[in-house]
Order: sequence, then structure tokens, then C-alpha cells
Amino acid sequence: MVGTPVLLVVIPLLAAFLIPLLGMIWKELVRIIPGLVLLYMFILSATLLNQVLHTGPIVEVIAGWRPPLGINLVFSPFSGFLVTLMTFIGLMVWIYSYRFKQNVDFEPAKKYFILLMMLVTGSVGIVLTGDIFNLFVFIEIVGISAYALTAFYTERNSAEAAFKYLFMGALASTFLLLAIMIIYTQLGTLNMADIASKMPEMNTTYKITALVFLLTAIGIEAEMFPLNGWAADAYTESPGPIGAAFAGIVAKAGVYAMVRIIFTLFDVEGTMQFMLYIGLITLIVAETTALRQDRLKRMLAYSSIGQMGLIMVAFGIGTAEGVFAALFLMFNHAIIKPLLFFSGSYLVYNSKDKFIHETNGMGKHIPVTSILFALGAFAIVGLPPFAGFWSKLSILTAAADENMIIIIALILIVSIVELVYYLRVVNRIYFFKMAEGVEPKKPTFNALFVMVTLGVIILLVGFYPDAITGVLHKASGDLLDKTKYIQDVLSLNP
Amino acid sequence: MDMIYLVFLIFLSGAVISWLAGKVNHVLQDILFLASVIVPSVLFYMNVSVGQEVHFKAGGIDLSWGITDFGWIFSLIVLGLGVLAAIYSVGFMKGKERRGYFYFNYVLSIMSMLGILFSKDFVSFFIFWEIMTWSSYLMVIYNGKHTQSIGIKYFIFSAIGAYAMLMAIVISHSVTGNFMIADLITAYPVLSFNLQVLIPVLLLTGFGVKTAIMPLHVWAPGAYSNSPMAFTSVFSGALSKMGVYGLSIVMLSMISHLPEGFWFREVLAWMGAVTAATGTLWAIKQDDAKKLLAYSSVAQLGYIVTGIAIGTELSILAGLFLAVMHAIFKSTLFMAVGAIERQTGTTNFTEVTGLIRKMPWTFLASLMSIIALAGIPPLGGFVGKWMLYESLITSDHYMLIILVFFSSTAAFLYCYKFLFGFFLGQEEKEWAHVKEAPVLMVIPMLVLAGLSFVLGTFPGLLLKPIDAGMQALGFAPTNQHLWDTSILFNSWGNQVALQPILYAILAIFVVFTIFLTIKGYKNTRYVTTKDISSSGEVPKEHENLTFSVNFFQPFLRAVEPVMRRQIDKYYNGFANGLEALFDFTRKIYTGNGQTYAIYVILFLIIMLLMKNNIFG
Amino acid sequence: MDSIWYKILGAVVSFIVAFIVGMTYMGLSRKITARVQNRKGPPFYQNFIDAMKLYSKSTAIHHGLMQHFGPAFIMVSSIMTLMIVPVLNDGKWFPNLNFDGDLIFLLYIMVFGPLGMALGAGQTGNPNSAIGVTRGLSQMVGFEIPWVMALVALMMQFKTTSIIDLMEVQAQSGTWLMFSSPFAFIAAVLAMLGMFRYSPFDIVGAPTELASGPVSENGGKYLFTLMSSGAVFAFAKLTLYVDLFMGGADNLIVLLLKTFAIYLIPMLYGVVSPRYRTEQAIRYFWGWPTFFGLLAILHAVFF
Repeated sequence: MVGTPVLLVVIPLLAAFLIPLLGMIWKELVRIIPGLVLLYMFILSATLLNQVLHTGPIVEVIAGWRPPLGINLVFSPFSGFLVTLMTFIGLMVWIYSYRFKQNVDFEPAKKYFILLMMLVTGSVGIVLTGDIFNLFVFIEIVGISAYALTAFYTERNSAEAAFKYLFMGALASTFLLLAIMIIYTQLGTLNMADIASKMPEMNTTYKITALVFLLTAIGIEAEMFPLNGWAADAYTESPGPIGAAFAGIVAKAGVYAMVRIIFTLFDVEGTMQFMLYIGLITLIVAETTALRQDRLKRMLAYSSIGQMGLIMVAFGIGTAEGVFAALFLMFNHAIIKPLLFFSGSYLVYNSKDKFIHETNGMGKHIPVTSILFALGAFAIVGLPPFAGFWSKLSILTAAADENMIIIIALILIVSIVELVYYLRVVNRIYFFKMAEGVEPKKPTFNALFVMVTLGVIILLVGFYPDAITGVLHKASGDLLDKTKYIQDVLSLNP
Repeated sequence: MDMIYLVFLIFLSGAVISWLAGKVNHVLQDILFLASVIVPSVLFYMNVSVGQEVHFKAGGIDLSWGITDFGWIFSLIVLGLGVLAAIYSVGFMKGKERRGYFYFNYVLSIMSMLGILFSKDFVSFFIFWEIMTWSSYLMVIYNGKHTQSIGIKYFIFSAIGAYAMLMAIVISHSVTGNFMIADLITAYPVLSFNLQVLIPVLLLTGFGVKTAIMPLHVWAPGAYSNSPMAFTSVFSGALSKMGVYGLSIVMLSMISHLPEGFWFREVLAWMGAVTAATGTLWAIKQDDAKKLLAYSSVAQLGYIVTGIAIGTELSILAGLFLAVMHAIFKSTLFMAVGAIERQTGTTNFTEVTGLIRKMPWTFLASLMSIIALAGIPPLGGFVGKWMLYESLITSDHYMLIILVFFSSTAAFLYCYKFLFGFFLGQEEKEWAHVKEAPVLMVIPMLVLAGLSFVLGTFPGLLLKPIDAGMQALGFAPTNQHLWDTSILFNSWGNQVALQPILYAILAIFVVFTIFLTIKGYKNTRYVTTKDISSSGEVPKEHENLTFSVNFFQPFLRAVEPVMRRQIDKYYNGFANGLEALFDFTRKIYTGNGQTYAIYVILFLIIMLLMKNNIFG
Repeated sequence: MDSIWYKILGAVVSFIVAFIVGMTYMGLSRKITARVQNRKGPPFYQNFIDAMKLYSKSTAIHHGLMQHFGPAFIMVSSIMTLMIVPVLNDGKWFPNLNFDGDLIFLLYIMVFGPLGMALGAGQTGNPNSAIGVTRGLSQMVGFEIPWVMALVALMMQFKTTSIIDLMEVQAQSGTWLMFSSPFAFIAAVLAMLGMFRYSPFDIVGAPTELASGPVSENGGKYLFTLMSSGAVFAFAKLTLYVDLFMGGADNLIVLLLKTFAIYLIPMLYGVVSPRYRTEQAIRYFWGWPTFFGLLAILHAVFF
């Protein structure tokens, strides 16, 4: 099944538009088509990734206009790795939400899957694109789908969450456009590789201003402190699988954009350091806030924000080991957080407010889900021999090599906080008596399948991290090599 | 496949299989469980030799496993105790639920402890350390009681220790370029002074938590008493020794090369002695046997730490010998408490009493263990204590010896309380039905009690591997110089010859027992404990003559000023303060969209204003 | 002459001598106490008569195995102490186990007996025994501190833990340790007051209060064993003090004189003292006696 990267963007977009039409033929197609599309995308990106790891990045030109005039897509080890990851999570989300809330009618299901397709399109597009305005477009696509999906359960809280998200997303778009404008007027190009090559000539004031606008804009998407106020609400009020999609897909796209800006596009000194400290603050504030939450999904949301902060810290260390650690963390987070959201949804399924204390005693009634939640909790805290340990070790090693002792201490202290709030929930699940009037819901077969798959991956990577580290090393090397990127894109033969 | 891999593989798969086998058949589960502990232990002792190593890579990091002579000593504790306690557990767990859970965590604990001893690189060490922590955590909360207070407290302290260790590990990596323990030890003397202090302090914090040195001990009383007694025997006996293992390596391989190491040793020795003294006092206060033994463990570990910290050959021998002896007698005592709990349903001294005739074997095992704990000849504890005191005197630590001796003497108090409270004293009607514990539980206790008896007269049997271990760490051989198979020496030339002493004691004991009983043992009749001399009145059946409440009230009154402050309360206060602080940070996320928008604008403005400071 | 028979002979002879001397001293103490209290008092050989009487009585009941072991344990402790302590200087007496143990071993074997006895008393179920035992143990924590401090001071000053070496030091230097380590002597003597359990530290077996405490349930041969062990133990302790502080003795007469001199101290002090409560006793021992112990240690280390 060979194809080209552009298919990764085109096919889901097409599917999104075709779903309502095909749905009129047969209702079930609404649910089936997204699955087929995602499966295809996953297989395609995996194949391409395999190819790219051996040969070299694929730069695909759209509509015949070569760079730097036209739009191009870049499928390199780094972006390809992320795309494969995202499509895999998308596939998991689809399997899970095939029959999530049983009584979902045709109309909402149709909307759900359309929006899911758009979300995936946008995220993949963000990662693959090589043009900065294209980036803006895809961010908008993601935004629209995300806002709508947040408000999927048409209740008051969901609407409020979606509104906040939209509000801040609008701010993000504004600043993004401003930044693009500055860059275009100064450098005359919208192609990322071209911008990167011309960046040294740019006037410093304009450069830094554009950078600040960009950081603010992308920072809102990437859940950077203090711009991440929308995130907790969005994760909490959206349906469970969408929370997983946000954590596993959208947030990764946001971080990709930020990293691309900092590592490839701009050459301003001090950006890495800035990312390091902002990430640290994000981490600390988010984890300590998570400790005080009494709703399960909100707690998971803050935990997710915290992990994003940690990833930023890892990128901010700036060395090759730091980038490797960041990618490893991204991978683990993309696997573990969806597992937590998936299992967490079942733990509080029949609850209205999704309080943590309503998970009491679930261990006896939904044992597999509970144990997978516990596995996810242990893994994300970084306990050996699960996957999260290796990524934590790599970030600490990277920091130690740069003598960042205080940073190490802070990360570890925050880990203890993380431990406490996860353990509290795990204890409740197993050792507390079930609350009055709470009915456990047994997960459906597709949900179980997804959760078990993710659990198996966690154990696999935990016991045999070499399965992943090879790819990660190549990907990190690719990100850091700015000149190669410029070369690959700009030196296309006609 | 190398035998080392096989050993660990059997452990790991055994854990999973014995968990799942519960769904099939209980007896099968018991057998599989015993097999998964006994088989690898046997394989280890027969096929794996010291110096054998395996190397492999994971995640790009070089890992290396192999056991040293020093680790071999501790493997005796881990595997020996592991096997005996496993046999005990099978009896203990009859009729209890969640056996699969228990067996799984038990095997994992044993495996991870052995793994710690095998780790030649820090990453494996840390991995096994953490597995040990969470599997023992799952055991602490096995009963489902106090999970949030005691369980999480245990995990937090373990995590603090483990993460301090992790910090030291990554710093070590940045200095030496790899994760090998041996490389850190060789590189240590030439490190910068800051690192020379920082790394051991971090490592000692990690090990100190597991060894329950004050002030890192607050998790111990709760955790030891909350776990099922079958596991606490391993918990207190073997797991705490992992901390001792790490502590020894830090002190003996690293600090001993540091000129300022003297201060480290003194501080640590004092911490050990203070732990011993206060732990003993708190043990005397307890009315629950589990808590009493828990505090007693903390105190005994204090002796061990003092021994190792002092650093002379004799004191290290003493510390290590006491470590093994403590594992032997403390685990027996916890097993005894488990047996009593199973047979009577309670472990509180004010509730149960007078079990000597009903559980004679348990009593015998407890008696031997208590005598060993108290350090009275001719049992094993005396050897360790003797060496410890001699080493303290010969190295001029006169104040420490007073403190250690005080806690030893005070230990007699809770020793007596344990024996009297459970076994002696009045026999009450409500406990008339109690029977001896099942055979599977009694046999391991008796085996361990017998061991402490043998080691009391022939300490050379244990001192030989300890000596080999110390040589592996760079000490000169102490055979013939500080000990012989059955004689102990000190560096001034004084000695204790244990065999003549034992024979004399036995001879006198037998002579006088015969003398007392020879005429008329058949003619005297046994009477119950209500038939006592009490100033002419005969006590009636319903009168309660049990003395157990406020057992040591005068003594506790005398030491009351020392026991007024509790470290635990300080920690609780600190934790509450933190939660309040976190409540404050939580409020940054006001939930109001406009606030968030303001944050964005503020962020932008600040960045634009400060852009020259932040960016190049 | 190391044959096993010689060793047994030595043990038996030492035991008999200790028994006779100890009983006599106890009888003498009763006589002297009576005279101080302006009574006639029993004859000095009264204890022997009591011992005979107790020996010839038979016991009708028993409370179990531990009760038999209790007095056996305490006998073990007394005789072992006797065998470790050198009775006369320069090997003029049987060597017994003099070379097989040292001061630290002695400290522990001295505790072995009372603990064993405590266990034996415990099985009887008599609450008075139990209360007596707890008081005894608590008090022991009290006086052990200055006692150990004194011994540690001696051990550190002369770098040895063997009693024989300490006796040699006194022989060589010509002065008794009583004078060259005065603080240690004072601390040890104050601790001795607690060891002998005369007033003011007799709350352990306070007859008027506790129906004689730990020995409540013992009669006949048991009480005989306890009495004799008390006598032997007293002799052993006194000999220990003489060896440590008064230069040992060259023959039995000198030994008797010196031990009796030391024995007078707790006896006479007890005659005129009321009884301390347990916590008062413990606090007392941690006061002045510990202070003297500290002085002794400082003296040993710095001078």
C-alpha cells in the first residue's frame, strides 16, 4: 500500500465530506468509513516511515509549484514518526468510540465522526506541512473541529468549555496571523525552509517580535503556562475518547509546531532556555493543581498539561539527548494518556459529575479496566519496569549532562506529587467500598480491545525499550539538523 | 541462556503464573507459588557463582548483572528468609482471599531484592529498587485498611528516597559517562568536593528511608503493622537490609576514601544510636504487638547502622552479623504474631494472654527469638552485640556506647512485654479454645529459632561469608584475628570462648532442672493460673487478674520528657501546609474565560517588554 | 590440668564456698539490721536453717514447665557469674571460666538470670509477680547506666575488657582502682545499691506491698534455689567489685574481709532508707550516679 504523504491529508478530508452523503445510503457507513480511513492512514504512514528511516525524508510538492513558492509537505523521520503515532491513536480512538455511549443517535454520530476526521486531518497537516500559512490553515481546521467536539454533549458545561477554547483559539489565530504577516513582509516568503535559510538576515526587533507572537499563539495550542486555561475544561467536558484524542493527537501537533519554530525556523538565542523555564513552570503549576482536583477527568487533564510542560523542559535542554528524551516522553504520553482517559471514562461512566470518589470499589466490578488504569497510572509516574520509566530516565540523564541539578530536583519533587494523586485514585478503585447509587458499567468489547492493546504496548516498551529508541534517535537527529531540512526542501529538482 | 537470566525469568513468570493459577485450583496455586520461590533459589545456590556476570543493553544503556561476595551475604537473607516465609505464607493464607495478589507481590519482592544484589549498574539497581517498592506497597495495602494514610505515606517516603537516589544516579552518569557502579566508585576520589558530598548524601537518603533511620522512619510503624504478617517477616527481615546493603557500599567504598569522611561516619553513627534509643522507648509504649515489633525493628536497624558507620573492621563485622541475626529473629517474631493473629484474631496485648500451653511451639520460637533479640548468651544476638560493644569501646566512642547500652537494656522491657503479654500471665476463658498454628506456619519459625541458637555458639559459620564479603570491599581478612569458628576476639586481645560457655550453661541448667523436679514431679499436680497465692483469698473464676494495661507505666513516666515530641507530627504539618499551598496555585485557573484571556495578553506584553532580556 | 573433672571440681568447690559465704553474709546482714533497729535479731546462721527447711519441703502444685525453668535460669546466671569472676589473685583459685569471657559478657550473663526468673514467674499468672518483674526491669534500666559508665571508663582507661587484666594493673601499679579511678568507683557503688535491691530500691519485691513480687509463687525447693542463687550471686558480685576496685585478694581471709566491707555499704544504707517508687528510683539513677559515671569517663579519656 504505497502512497504519498499528501494522501495522508487528502483522504481524511475527503472522507469527512463524504460521510454524510454515504450515510444516507447506509447508516452504518458513518461509523465504518472513518475506521477504514484511519487504518489506511496508519498503514501508509508506517510504511513511509520505514522507508524514510532508511533512505531520507520525502518532500512532496503540492500542485506542482516548487518551493519556495509552492506548498510542500515534508515527511521526515521526525514528522513521520509523529504522524504514525497520531494515526495510531486516531485508530484507537475510532475503535473505542465505535460504540461508546450506546444511545447515541445517528445525527450526533455523524457529526462526531466528521469532526473526528477533520481533527485528524488538521493535526496530520500541521505536522507534515512545510509552509507557514498552510500551518495556520491546518491549525484553524483543528480548532474548529476541537471546539465543536468539546461541545459535543450539548450541555451547559460543555458549551462553556467550548466557548473558552474558542475564545482563546481566536486569540491564538490572531497572533499567529500577525506573526506570519511580519515574517512575510520582512522575508517575502511563506515556506518554512526558506524562512529558516533567510532568518539570519532578518531585522532583530522584527524577528523577536514575530517570535513572541508565534510563541504566544502556538503556546496556547501547546498548553503552555499561563496560556493553558482552556485546556482543563476542554479535556473534562469533551467525551472521553475525544479527551484521549486531544492528549494524543492535538497536543502533539501543537508541540510539533512550537518545536519546529524554535529549532528550525528561528535562530534566536535564549529560546531554548525560555522553553525550559516555561515548561518547568507549566509542569509545577499543573501537577500541584492536579493534586487538588476532585473530578477524575479534570485531574487527568491537568496531568496531561503537566506532561506537556515536561516535554517542553526536555526540548529546552537543547542537546541531542534532550530532544531524544522529549520525543520519548511524547511517545509514552501519547500511549499512556489515552489509556488513562479511556479507562477513566468507564470508571465514572454512569456518574453525572465524574467525581473521583465515585470510582470507589470499581476494582471488583470492572477488573480489567481497573487494572489497566492502574497500569497506566504506574507507567505515567515513571515506575519501572513500565514504559514511562525509560523516558523519565532519559530526561534526567540529559539534564544531568548539562549540570541542571535544581531542575532535576524539581522534576523529581513534582513526580512525587504526581504519584500521590494517582495512587489515591488507584487505592480508591480497589480498596474502598463502592459509593451508594453508583452503577458500574462494563466496557464493550471494542473499548476493552483498545485498552488492552495500549496496555500491552506499555509493557512491551517497558521491558524492551529498544523497540522504540532506534526510531527516536533518528527522529531527534533529524529535528536538530536544521541545514539538512533546508537543503532537502529547497534543493528539489524540477 | 545464562543461569542468571533463568533465575530471574523463573521468578517473574512464577509471579504471574501463581497469580493466575488461583482461578484454576487453590492447591495448584500454592504449589506453583512455592516452586517459583524455591526453584530459583536452589538454582542460584547451585549454579551461579560469585563473579559470574551477564551484560546486555536496554534502551541504549549498558546493563550488567553479577553478584559479589558482599552481595552474597545478603542473598542468604533474601533467599533463605524468602523460602521459609513462603512456606509460612502458604499456611497463613489458607482461607484468605486475594491469594493471587499476595503471591504475585511476594515473588516480585523477592525477585527484586535479589536483583538489587545482582545489579552492577545503577539503572538495573534503580529498576529493581522501584519494583521492590511498589510490590511491597501493594502488600502494605493488602488488607485495604488505611490505604491513603499509611500506604501512600510509605510510598511517598520510598519515592523521596528513590528519587534522591535517581538524582545521584544521573549525576554520576554525567560524571563518568556510564551507569556502572564500579566506575563511580573509582571516579569518586577525584570528584569535586561538592559532588563528593552531594552524591553520598543523596544515596544515603535513599538507603536511609529503607533502613528507617530517624527522621526517615515515620513510615515504618504503620507499614510494618499494616501488611500481612507473612509479608512483614520478609519486609522487616530482608527488605530493610537492602538499605543496609546500599548504605554499606556507600560508606565503605566511597566515604572511606574521603578525608572528611570522618564526619559522615560520626553523624551517621549518632543517627543510628539515637534511632535505637528512641525506637526502643516507643516500642515499650505500644500495646499492639505489631507496632511493638515495628518500632523494635527500627531500633535494631539503628544498631546495624551504627555498626557500619563506625567503620572499623570489628564494627562492620558486628553490623553485618547483626543484620543477618535481625533478619532471623525478627522474622520469626513477626511470624509468631501472624500465627497468634490467625488463631485468636487479635494482636493486642491487652486482649490476648496466657497462650503458652495452647501454642507451645510458637512460644518456643518466640522465646528463642526474644533471647536473641535481647542479646543474651548463648544465642546469636549476643555475638553481634558483643562485637558491637567491643568495637565501640576500642574505637573510643564512649558516649555512643552508653546510648547503645541504654537502648539494649531498655529492650529487655519490651522483650518481656512481648513474651509475658502473649504467652504468660493469666489464662482467660475466652482463649481456652485456641490451638497451635498449622504445621506449615510452625516449622519455619522453629527452623529460624534453631538457626539463632546454632549461630550463637558457632558464629564462625556466618562470619566466614561475611569476612569474604568484606574482603571484596577491600578489607583485610579478619579470620583468626577477630574471630574463630567459636571464639570472638577484640582488637585488644580479649576474647569470649563460646563453646565452653554454652556447655557450662547447659550443664548448670540441666543439673538444676533435675534437682528441682526429680522428687515429686509426678506427685505435684498442675493447677491453673487462678490458683495462686494472694494473701489468703482464693480468686474467683470471674475475677480479672490479668496485668497488661499500663504495663510499664512507671518507666514510661520516668522517660516521658523524651517522648513528648513526635517527628510524625512535623511531617503531617508539613504535608498539610503543602496542600494549602497547592490550593493556592489551583486558583490560578479561575474558570473564568476572561481571566484566561487576560493571562494571554499579560504574557504577551511581558514578553514584548522583556524580550531583550530573554532573547539573545 | 585442664581435664573436664578438674573443671567440674572447680565449679563445685566455688559454688559451695560462695553458698556458705553468701548465706553467712545474708544472715549477718539480718543480725546487723536488727541490732540497728534495736532488736535482737535471728542468729547469723539463720539462713542455713531456712535453707534446710525449704529444701526439705515438697511442693504440691506447679504451674507448668516455665515455672521450673525460672529458678534454673537464675542459677545458671549466678553460677556463670561466679565462674567468670576470678575469686583470688594470680590463679590461686580454680581458673573456672576466667579466660573464656570478659566484662561485656559478664554484663549480659548477669541479666540472663533475672529475665529467666521473670519468665518463670510469669507463667504462674500471679499479677504480683508480673508487677514485681516490670518494676525490677525498669529499675534495672536505671542502674545499668551508671554501672556501664563506670565499667566503660575502666575499660577505656586501661584498654582492656578482661577482669584479670584489670587486676594485674592494680597489682603492678600498687594502688587500688578505688583510689586511682575514684569517680568510677563512686558510680559503681551507687549502681550497686540498685543491684542488691536493699532499700531504697527494694520496691521490686516489696514484701509489704506486693506479696514478695517475682518470687510469689515459689516455695520449697524452688525458693531454696532462689535463696542459694541469691547468695551465690551476692558473693560473685562482691568479689567482682573487690577484683575491680580493691585489687583482688590473695587468700580467702582477705577476700572475706574486703567483700564484707563492700557489702556493708548497701546494707547499712538500706537500713536507714525509706523506699523509692520506681520512677523515682529510675530518675535517681539517671541523676548523680550518671553524673559520676560521666566524670569517670571523662577522667579516663582525658587523663
